[in-house]
Formats: sequence, C-alpha cells, structure tokens
Amino acid sequence: MHAHLFVPCLVEDCQPEAAEAVVAVLEHLNVEVRHPAGQTCCGQLAYKTGDLKNARRLAARYLDVFAAPGPVVCPSGSCAKMVRTYPALFAPGTSEHSRALDLAMRTFEFCEFVAGLPGADSLGAELATRACYHGSCQLQDQTDDGAEAPRKLLRGVRGLTLVEAERPDRCCGFGGIFSLQFTAVSEALVEDKCREILALEPDILVSAEPSCLMNISGHLARLGRPLPALHVAQVLAAGLKKETPPWK
Amino acid sequence: MEVTTRHFRQSSARACRDVNLRAVLDHTTRYFQSKRQASLETFEGRDAHFARARAARLNALSRLPELLEQLEANAIAAGTIVHWAADAAEARAIIVGIAKAASARVIVKGKSMVTEEVALNPALEETGAEVWETDLGEFIVQLAGEPPSHIIAPAVHKSRQDVVELFAEKLNLHGESIPELTLLARRALREKFLSADMGVTGANMAVAETGSVILVENEGNIRMSTTCPRVHVALMSLEKVVATMEDAADLLRVLPRSATGQRMSSYVSVLTGPRGEGETDGAREMHLVILDNGRSEVLADPVLREALACFRCGACLNVCPVYQTIGGHAYGWIYSGPIGTLLSSLLLPRSETRDLPFGCTLCGACKRTCPLSIDHPKLMLALRERTAGGGGNPIGAAHALLARHPLAYRMAVGAARAVDPRLDLLARLPGLPGLSRFVDSRRPPELKTPFTARRRKKTQKERS
Repeated sequence: MHAHLFVPCLVEDCQPEAAEAVVAVLEHLNVEVRHPAGQTCCGQLAYKTGDLKNARRLAARYLDVFAAPGPVVCPSGSCAKMVRTYPALFAPGTSEHSRALDLAMRTFEFCEFVAGLPGADSLGAELATRACYHGSCQLQDQTDDGAEAPRKLLRGVRGLTLVEAERPDRCCGFGGIFSLQFTAVSEALVEDKCREILALEPDILVSAEPSCLMNISGHLARLGRPLPALHVAQVLAAGLKKETPPWK
Repeated sequence: MEVTTRHFRQSSARACRDVNLRAVLDHTTRYFQSKRQASLETFEGRDAHFARARAARLNALSRLPELLEQLEANAIAAGTIVHWAADAAEARAIIVGIAKAASARVIVKGKSMVTEEVALNPALEETGAEVWETDLGEFIVQLAGEPPSHIIAPAVHKSRQDVVELFAEKLNLHGESIPELTLLARRALREKFLSADMGVTGANMAVAETGSVILVENEGNIRMSTTCPRVHVALMSLEKVVATMEDAADLLRVLPRSATGQRMSSYVSVLTGPRGEGETDGAREMHLVILDNGRSEVLADPVLREALACFRCGACLNVCPVYQTIGGHAYGWIYSGPIGTLLSSLLLPRSETRDLPFGCTLCGACKRTCPLSIDHPKLMLALRERTAGGGGNPIGAAHALLARHPLAYRMAVGAARAVDPRLDLLARLPGLPGLSRFVDSRRPPELKTPFTARRRKKTQKERS
C-alpha cells in the first residue's frame, strides 16, 4: 500500500519533524510514502478570508499535485478539511468538481488514517511521559471516529499518561486571520487555554493540528513556561524508536 | 440603541480587558451550559426531536409567503387585528398608533428582541407613556439604560452587586440577596401590570393553521402583560411563523431544553385572538404586527437564509469562546454571539458590519450545539466572501500569489530563513499591526530546514 504525503505549509518550514514522524509511522505500518512535488498551500487562508477566487486557484493546483491515485495523508485536521471542502468550490458537472470529489474522498487526516490501518491497535509504541492532548476544533467537525483517532492512538502508547485541559473542546483562540484582526480576544483565549494546560503539569503538549501547537506553545514560551509541542505523529514515532526522544 | 457594529474590533478588545465582565460571563455561560447539558442527557430520542424541530423550521421557511397569508387570515378570523411592517420605522409607527388610539399611559412589555430591533421603547416613550420592561433581566438593563447582552438572559453581564447598587440608585429600593431583589422588582412591577393600558410582547412563534401567537417565558410577566391590560400587541419578525400546532409542539419540545435546560418553560401562552364572548380573561383587543425589516431579502439567498431558521434559544452564545470572552454589548447591536453576528450582518447595512463575520475563530462550537443544526461557520464564510467581494485581504492575496508559484514560494521562504530564521522581524513588518501584537504574546516558530530538503538529503544518503 502507498500513500501520498500532504505537508501543510506550517509543517514544511516550521515543524518539519512532524512530517518526518508521519513518514516514520506510516513506514512502520508498511505504507510506502510518496511525497508529491510542488506543494505550497492548500488555499485555506484564502478560503477563510473570503477570497474564493484564490482559494479556487490553489485548490485547482492541488488537484494536479495530488492527481495520482491513492490515499492522501495530512498531519493537520484543518488542511485535510480544506481539501474536503474543494468540491464546494467548483460547479457540479465540471471536471474540476469531479476531481475535487475524488480527492476529497481519499484525503485523510493523519491520525484518522493511521487508526484505520491494520496493526494500528498494536503499534508497540512506548514512551514514559505525561502528555496533554489538545483536540483541535477542526478535527471535531469530522466524524466521531476522526475526532477520537488521536486519543485512541495516544492511549495505545505504553507508559504515556494522557491528560486534557479542563475544557478540552474549547478553541485555543488562533483562528488564522482572527488572531491578527482580533488580537486581544485571541490572546485572552490562548491565555485561558494555557492556564488550563499548565494546571495539569504535563511534560509535553500534543495535538494533531500544527497551527494550534504554534499558537499555544508560542504563548507558553512567552509565559516562560515552555513545553515541547508535538504532533501526535512525533509522539508515536518517538515511542516506536524506544530511545530518549529528541525534545528531552 | 445606537448601532456600533463598525467598531467591533475595538469594542471587543475593550471588553476582554474588563476583568469583572470576564468573571461574570465565565460564571454564567458555564452555568447555562451545565443546565443544558444535564437536560439533554435525559432527553430521550434527542436527535430525532432535534431533526423534527429543524424540519418544522425549514418547512416554514420554504413556504413562508403562503404561511404568512394563512396566519393573517386565521388571526383575523380569531379577532386579531393584523398589521404588516416593512421596516423598523413602520413597526414603530403602527405600534405608536395603537398606543395613541388606546390612550395608553402605562405600557408593560414582555422580553422581546424584535422590539429592541425596531427601537420601540423610545418611540412609545415619546407619546408620553411610561414604558416598563417586566422581565426581571430586561427590567434591570432598562434601569441601567443599557441594551440586553444575551438573547435569553438580557442582564447576564450584571453581577448581583451591580443590581443591588442599581436598585438603590434608581428605585431607592434596598435589598441584598437575589430573592430579596427579585421580590422588590416583583412588587414594583405588580403595580404596573395592574395599571397598564397596553401590553407589548414579541412572539416565539406564530401558528399559521390557527392564527395563534405562542409565547414562552418563566416569570409570568408575559402572561400578565398579555392578560391584564386592555390591549395586547405582539410584534413578530416574519420568519417566526410555523405551519401547524404540531410543528409548534415539535419546537416547544426543544426550545426550553436548549435555552435554559428546562423540560418546559414555566409558562407557555398560546394566544388566539382577544378575549371572546363569555371568557373571563385575556386582552379585549389583540394586534399582531408582522415585521419584515430586510428578512425577505435574506430569504432569497440560498445559503444565508439558513440564519432565519433560528428560534433564539441562545445556546450558541453560551458555547462561543468569543462571546464567553467579550459578552454581548461589544457586538455593537442587540444581537450577539454566533447567531447575532449572522443576524446583524444580514439586517444592518453592509458598510456597518464588515468586521463582524471575521470576529470568529470558525471553531464550530455553535454549529455542534445548535439544536436546529444551523451551520454558522459556513454562513460566516459566506459573509466573509460577500465582504471580501472577490478580493480578500492583502496578506492573504500576497500569500496566495506566492503559493501559486512553488519556486517563488520556496525562494521567498528561503530568503526569510536566511535573513531572519527566528522570525524576530515579523513584529516590525509595516502595515501589519496585528502581527506585532501576535508575536508579542506568542514566540513565533523558527524557520527550519524544510521537510522537502531533509527528505531529499535522506533519500540521497540511503542511495549512496
């Protein structure tokens, strides 16, 4: 089996370790990982600022980038969701629309994809750590299975204690353009989130959403209480290696 | 009230610096959520009931003109006088006319967002009449000279201490505990009910097949406002009509549970015409004013019309992280939170509401909570698109341009990495004030060796 790796722009340049970990976990489960060239941005920023013209252009690009058949796997709930929105950007009956439907059907958020693979239940990862999981809003919009997949995978890691903030489903306040236009509100929300996380005294912060990780860990750093901020894939990959993880 | 939606960014920033407001909001929104949660946990067949309620609303929206005509005919047959108001000014003129004809000196009001929408109270006061809000929360905000800050809990932003001081200052009434304060308000209002010439209410729904107006409440003040005075005026926005009494029942099964966590509200009034011959209670004259105020235009939009399905349970406000942080007033008009953002954007001039749909993280808590499954984030995006008018925001447009050209994109990121790998300069980029605020409170991520380069290196190493 093979899968195409869809690397979010934030991961490509700011958290490349997350994509490397995705490769490691998928290969461990005997999935051949291909990395299509030409990836930049899926169009989420344009789409969410109301710029449908550019969102459509970028979506059309990604229809080409990921034209080859086979599942597309992405370590971000919001980017995966954006691709699932592509069909709404094109008129029904057009070739783009049918290609968008096809791509939307075979695009998966990383945890959702891994949880469905044979062998996922007995991954054999082991990591002694107290991990605070932040479930991102965009993942919750998926099916219940999709939203639960990260928790399921983390619970399968031997030695890992999974904790969640008091209001686990509450937004961390990022919201892309929102954080730049409504800075004070965004800040108030990330403050709330950090307070709830720090109260749990975790060793690491884990999420399946790179932008939440950036937002929360960036604020924790400014508070002088930094935590290693890891994608679920990084935790699994470290657990599979059974060595001291790189962030320790 | 004055519309200040255009200052939403500034007023939201001001509101979240108000620590007292934050504490009150935190307490009350959590309280509402826990009540609601507890009630829904024991609601057998919940999803089926939600689906029936949604169907009742959507069915009504799809047949609105026909149902409104049916409502009018049946209301008239029951003895109600029906008026049509195209906009707020017409609604005010009609109701002021009724008040004058009734020589109303004292007017009592039930809690109603739509009367706030048309700014009815000042118009009625201009006739020389006393106008009293009789819902406890509305009474409190009326004394304070403020608009309501929540669809179902108008004084949610006020603490007990605020009310103690307000009653002392405005009414020279002194109480400390909540039961004491409630009793004081009750006594003051009881006199008004008994002396009132006219009662004004909104309408939670109106039933086309019977011509009835249905009102849902907990304090009995609406029952008093509609039965004590000689004249009762109900103002309804036109989307509140439902086809049948059965549809109304489907909505009533869901509305109190979702709003306050009650299986049923303490009072439900079904008013079909004025007091009939031989009847011992009810207003002697009943008016129904049906308000459009921009809604027919919204109804014509295939996406945005979904906002009109709302039956104002207010649950989306309580779960919204932005509302929880800034409260209702910051939104700049009577409607607040997720549904309020949508309604204000649809009912006010577009030039006033450009920022509203952007004051949302698109987290979707509203959509997941809405018993009618209104897809607020989708509508928020549609409004953003309308605002952007095909253009979009300059950062987004620049980013999109680069993203369409992978080579240029890689070069731009590469250059940034060479110059400023820790992104220290971000805060100083001109024209992006929000960005400097953002990096003040979040250390920006580092630009690292990109994944693509790492992978290429690794494959080369494995090959050699």
